[in-house]
Amino acid sequence: MHEYKLLFTGTMGAGKTTAIGAVSDSAPLVTDVLNTDASVAKARTTVGLDFGQFTLDNGDRVRLFGTPGQSRFDFLWKILAKNALGLVILADNSRPDPLADLTVYLDGFREELATLPCVVGVGRLDSHASPNLDDYAALLAQRGLVLPLLPVDVRRRDDVVLLIDTLLAQLEAHLYEDENHDDAE
Amino acid sequence: MTTLSEASKTRAQNEVQRLLYDVSTVRAVVLATIDGFDIASAMRDELEPARIAAMASSISAISEVVSQEARLGRGKCVTLDTEEGFALVHAVHHPQVPLVVNVIAGKDAILGQITYRVTQLARSLAEI
Repeated sequence: MHEYKLLFTGTMGAGKTTAIGAVSDSAPLVTDVLNTDASVAKARTTVGLDFGQFTLDNGDRVRLFGTPGQSRFDFLWKILAKNALGLVILADNSRPDPLADLTVYLDGFREELATLPCVVGVGRLDSHASPNLDDYAALLAQRGLVLPLLPVDVRRRDDVVLLIDTLLAQLEAHLYEDENHDDAE
Repeated sequence: MTTLSEASKTRAQNEVQRLLYDVSTVRAVVLATIDGFDIASAMRDELEPARIAAMASSISAISEVVSQEARLGRGKCVTLDTEEGFALVHAVHHPQVPLVVNVIAGKDAILGQITYRVTQLARSLAEI
């Protein structure tokens, strides 16, 4: 049995806690508190970490960690990213500038993105069509990144599972490349 | 209501300042909202209140879930005992705005004294 640690990050309100809760086998551990930031219409916000886990059909276990979204908690981003095998960045397309939001996490996880598989999930695309996925892809390309981009509704378990499957597929591809590279040497 | 009035913030600042003056081994006192915004602070060292506030909020929230998991009731205080002193993160059960106060003390500090004063401070801040 393998164990995978995956990390969910992204804008405050993008649905990291909801995503983890949607797939976790047991009640997720959450550190939500009263939100006092009047600039964001949200009753509660994560200030520590989220944690959930679920078991794949083959018995492998996936441990899911979520970061706080606000950059004042960036000291936790590094702590939570340790030993992670993949990164999910969630964007909220209803925000004033979702591409600028994404940039915060691309910068904040620059070192991790150099080595870890990553997938970007874009929420609320149905109600807010702009920017579209091509705009996201263009932003990533400017930074030399080619990452899977998926429209998601994190309240739907299937959408979150798809994000995780996409990440695990990349992870297996990385492992395959590493093995082939070792064989070639 | 999720914010303190300006008058309450002034009273909080006075309380925080008083602890720093009264106890010479205290290096910094930061009062923060439970989601990590500093609202009053007093410092002897060059520390960033905004960062301390965010960290205090995280420590408090994580300790709260540990407390719940262990069925130990509502969290009150977390003590970090380090080579160079102590950091105490104490919940402030204000009826309108849940707060957290972080006190950093040097290595000459007496933990019992600091704990006693921080508990008193948290009680006073809960009534502002």
